[in-house]
Formats: sequence, structure tokens, C-alpha cells
Amino acid sequence: MTGSIALLGQPNSGKSTIFNNLTGSRQHVGNWAGKTVEKNEGSFTYQGTKYTVTDLPGSYGLSGNSDEEIITTDFIKSGSSDLTVVLVDTSQLERSMFMLAEFARLDKPAVLVLNMMDIAKDMGKKVNAEALAKKLGIPVLPFNATDSRDYEKLKKLISDELKTPHRLIVPAPAEQADVKADSKSKFDWISELLSDVTKTEESVYKMSKFDRVMTRPILGKMICIGVVLVAFLVAMLIMMPFMGIGQMIPALLHDPVDKLLTGWNVHPWIVSVFSMMIPNVLYFTISMASFVFGVNIVFGFLEETGFLARAAYQFDGLLSKLGLQGKAICPMLMGFGCTIGGACGTRVMDNWGQRMLAMSIVWAIPCASIWSIIPVISGMFFTWWQTMLVCIGILLYVVVTMIIVSKVFSRKLAPVENRSGMIMELPPYHKAHWKHIIKEAFFKAWDIFKRALGTVTLVSILFYVLSFSKDGNVDNSLLYRVGTFIEPVTRFFGMGWQTFMAFVSGAFAKEAVLGTLNAVFMGNNSLMEATFFAKTAPADTALLGSVMSSAIAPAEALAFMFATTFNIPCLMALSTTYKESHSLKWTVKVALFYICNALVLSCIVYHIADLFM
Amino acid sequence: MKLTETKADMQGRISAVSGDNHFMNRISSIGITEGTPFQTVRNDKKMPVLVYLRETLISLNRADAERIEVEKQ
Repeated sequence: MTGSIALLGQPNSGKSTIFNNLTGSRQHVGNWAGKTVEKNEGSFTYQGTKYTVTDLPGSYGLSGNSDEEIITTDFIKSGSSDLTVVLVDTSQLERSMFMLAEFARLDKPAVLVLNMMDIAKDMGKKVNAEALAKKLGIPVLPFNATDSRDYEKLKKLISDELKTPHRLIVPAPAEQADVKADSKSKFDWISELLSDVTKTEESVYKMSKFDRVMTRPILGKMICIGVVLVAFLVAMLIMMPFMGIGQMIPALLHDPVDKLLTGWNVHPWIVSVFSMMIPNVLYFTISMASFVFGVNIVFGFLEETGFLARAAYQFDGLLSKLGLQGKAICPMLMGFGCTIGGACGTRVMDNWGQRMLAMSIVWAIPCASIWSIIPVISGMFFTWWQTMLVCIGILLYVVVTMIIVSKVFSRKLAPVENRSGMIMELPPYHKAHWKHIIKEAFFKAWDIFKRALGTVTLVSILFYVLSFSKDGNVDNSLLYRVGTFIEPVTRFFGMGWQTFMAFVSGAFAKEAVLGTLNAVFMGNNSLMEATFFAKTAPADTALLGSVMSSAIAPAEALAFMFATTFNIPCLMALSTTYKESHSLKWTVKVALFYICNALVLSCIVYHIADLFM
Repeated sequence: MKLTETKADMQGRISAVSGDNHFMNRISSIGITEGTPFQTVRNDKKMPVLVYLRETLISLNRADAERIEVEKQ
């Protein structure tokens, strides 16, 4: 026997916590048919019966025309689930009941869960659940999302209700053609229901001392930036052990696999696939997943505590100029650390178009890897103060790129009429539920790992074929042949075949840039090893510097640095964007834009610099 | 007066909200409807307006807050 239920509730009603605790690891993330909205499904077993749980997309109501609202309404109407569990935040009961008022019109079996009962109690608020149940005609369950006993009660209730379902007996709020009158009718319906069930004391709101500081225009912004920087460091600390393990894979596997396969007389081509490429794919994917894990823990914490909402409040004005809204600030700051982190941090945004736009804008932010290679390369050609100027130039162009990206893509992704300006609640500060945060971060990381493995393998094979040469000499690789063949074209963009090759490998992984330069200029390292072993075999930069600065002009170096910085971020970031957005079309579109942008920029920088240098 | 013209700690009622259906749906689903008592918590230049209503602290971007008329109580 099986049953199926759906969870319905406004943002901040604790829906995802309940979903995660009900279903545990038995979750599946997909897409709603034909839509870019994420579909979360899971299941749990109670007394031998399996129940599937659908987490309906979060929205404040059901009457708007957003994808989320249409999906939810259609899903409930179609009867795809046997029971809808409606969640409300008891500490903000009146406002939160709006979802029930919307649901009432759909007339389907339901139960009402009064979540955050603990917070409501702390506020001195009393709710008579039995009286409410009597009025509504459906069971009402007081609930505390952190109490495991309450989940048992909920499971039992679900199982009982599937046998003898209840529908609302109170007539739904009268429908009005005019939106204004219609919402009034819903809130009147709520007031009527709550009239003798609870008492809402009208009180003067006093901001906490901490919030008073957090909401100050300048100080608050500085605190936000500081907190996100600390958060990034913490995310790095969390990921480090996992990444360390991942990093050992190529080094550990290379020699034994190489020996074993060579001993079997396997073709060297196949040998290096298994000894070099596959271990590196594993390594890349593990580092990616561990980063997603770290970022999700930190973001989960910032979101649950209510910090994210304050940061969004602070930066809304600035970001709305880019077609985004305040919530995009954290992923953007995160992008200075790692684009992958930034891309998956956009999860906090509820509108798909704006989320995709935010990811495209995050791509423009140079990550920590770029900041680690640019000074090295710049130092080979320029003095320290010129290097400073290069970095400042890059920072300035970050802003320009963001504006261009927003101009190019916002019309499609976030048209002004669909643009949701920020209307959001600043929830009271909560304690974080660590168990839940870690669990959820683990699922997300595991999900990314599983799904990215394929993408990373595919692109790795492609690059592998391009960079393969029988004797390890660069001149015999396909990439060299292609590179020198199209050199007349790349010259126009300011790059010779060597720098162009490094530019291409930078699209694969930014860390590969130095290794590739080493391979093409020194010829003592195969291009393939440079790309796949960049992190384990650092290049001798001093020597490389003297060779490079005599081989290419400073103007070309400058063009190359700009091109590399503003090219597509890296394979892993690309693949994360695709996994997070569920849209191959848009990921490719944005990627093409960035490649063109990098080439045009390189061309401009080269030809201008050429005049002066 | 407009919500954007209120001062911190002012209490009053929402007197009129105007906008297209999309806006009206969003604003009313979060609880801002005509007649709702509110309190302005913070209103700084170039920052979203912070209001407290229906037991909730709500942050509203300025463009949207412009479309909300309120009266002092």
C-alpha cells in the first residue's frame, strides 16, 4: 500500500525542514515538467506503508501567475496527491494563514500544521488548536520542527487521514474579480476563523539592539561583507579535509594504474585515460562537491539564523540596478572565493529568471584562483605598482562586465514587469538546527557529485583528445595544430598560439593556466599533464617568467590576463551552473557570451596597450 | 502620505495600495492590504523601508513602497 502527500506553505514556514526530516535521505530533486522550477520529492515509510512526499514550490500565495504558483495550484487541483499538509508559522499566524485561505478554494483533503509553536509560546501567544480544528473541519496539529516526537505524531496523522480524509467544512473566502477585494475577502476569512481561537495583541515593535546595528546603512553593509568573508573562510575550512582526500586520488592512482595497464600491454592512449584523466575527473568532482558541501553549511546557517535577510535588505538598492534583488548579495560576495560557491549560493533566490541572471553575473567576479595567478603573471612583465594597476583595472572591469551582462540578459531573464523587487520578511533571529543544515548540505553535495561526474568526464575527454600527444611533446597535440593554424585569427585578438592555449585551458580550470604556460613555453612538460596535474606539480615561475617575458610582448601579456579573467569561469563552475539552473540552453548562451566578451576585451586591451608599450 | 514619507516609529494604517495585478497579488499575499495597522521601523534614504505589520517585520523596496498610501494614527 502506498500514499502520497504534498507540503504547502509560505517561505519561512519551515517547510523544507519538515520535508527533510520526514524523508531523510530518500529524496529526489528534479524539475517540474516543462518548467525550470525545482521539484523535490521524497518518501518515508510508516507502519509498513510507503508515503511519497512532494515539496510544493514556495510562494506567499496561489493567485499570482508565477510558475511556482501555477505549478502548485495545478498539482493540488489534479489530485496528484491524496492529502495536502498546509504549514503555517504560528508566531505570525494571521499572515501565514493566507496560504490556507488560498488553498480553501481548491477543496481537497488537508491537514493544518501549526509550525513554530515553540516561538509562538515564547512570545506569549496562545492558540486553541482544537477550537480551530472544529471550525475548519480538518485536523490541526501543533508542531515544533525541532522535536522528533512531533514527526511521529505527524506521520500517524497522515496515515489516519489517508484512511478517512477530511476537507474544510468552512466555506472558502468569497471570490472577487478585483485583486484588492479578493485579498480583503481572504483576510476577513482569516480574522473570522481566528477570532476566538487566538488573540493577537497589538504591540509596538521594538527592534533588537543587534538589528538596530545591522540595519544601519553603512555599518550594516560593512558587517555583512565581513560576515560573508568569514563565512567563506569557514566554508574553505570545511571543504579542506575532503579536498585533501580528493587531491590524493590522482597521485595515489597514477603510478599503480599506469604500471598495471602498461604491464598488460594496453595502448598508452588508454593507459593515460585511466591513470591520468579518470583520477583527475574524480578529484575535480570531489573538490566541487566538497565546496558545495561547505558553502551549503555556511549558507544554511546564515539563512536559518536570519542573517541573509538582513544582508538582502542592505544591498537591495544597489542590486536592483542590475535587475537583481537584495538576496543576490551573498552569492556575489561568495564569488570572490569561488564561482561554484557563488552559483550554488543563488539557491536563496526564489525567482528562476533572476537566479539565472545572478549566476551569470557571478561569473564575472574573479575567483580566488584568478587572484592567485594574475599577480604571478603580471609580475613577470610589470613592476609591483603596475601589477597593482592591473588588479585595479580588472576590478573596474568586473563592474563593467556586470552591467553588460545585466543589459544583455536581463530583458529575457528578468523583464521589468516580472522583476520582483524585494518584498520580504525579516524573520526573527533563530537558532540554527545544525543536524538539519548538515544533512541538507550533504544531500546537495552528493547530488552535485552524482550529476556532475558525467559532465566533467565528457568535457575532460574532449580536452584530453585535444591535448594528447604520443611522445608528450606539445607540438604533436591536436591543440597545437589547431592553435597554430588559427593563430592569425587569435593574433587579431591579441594572443599568440601559446597564450591562446593557456586561455583555453583556463576555461577548463584556472589553476591550469600556469602549468599550460609552462608546457608551451618551456616544452618540458606535456600539455596534458600541465592541465591535469596543475595542482600537484607547480610550475617554476621564476624561470618561466624570464622565458615568457622575452618571448611575448607586455601588451600580449596584458591582453591575455584580461581575457583569462573574464572568460568563462571553469569547467566545474560551468557544470554547477548547469546543474543549478537545469537549463543547458541558458548555460551555453551565457558561456558563449563570456567567450566573446573575453576575446573582444583581449582585442581592445591588446591594441590599446600596443600603442603605449 | 506615502509609506516612503513616514518616519521611524510612526504608527498608522495602510489607506490605499495601487498597482497592477501582479504587484497587488505579491503585496497582499505578504499581508499588506488596505486597513492594515502598521508601524514604520526604519526608513533610510536609498534603503528599503522596514515596516512591522501582522506580527511580521517586512522589508519593501522603495519603488514598491511609493505605491502604498498610509495615514497616521
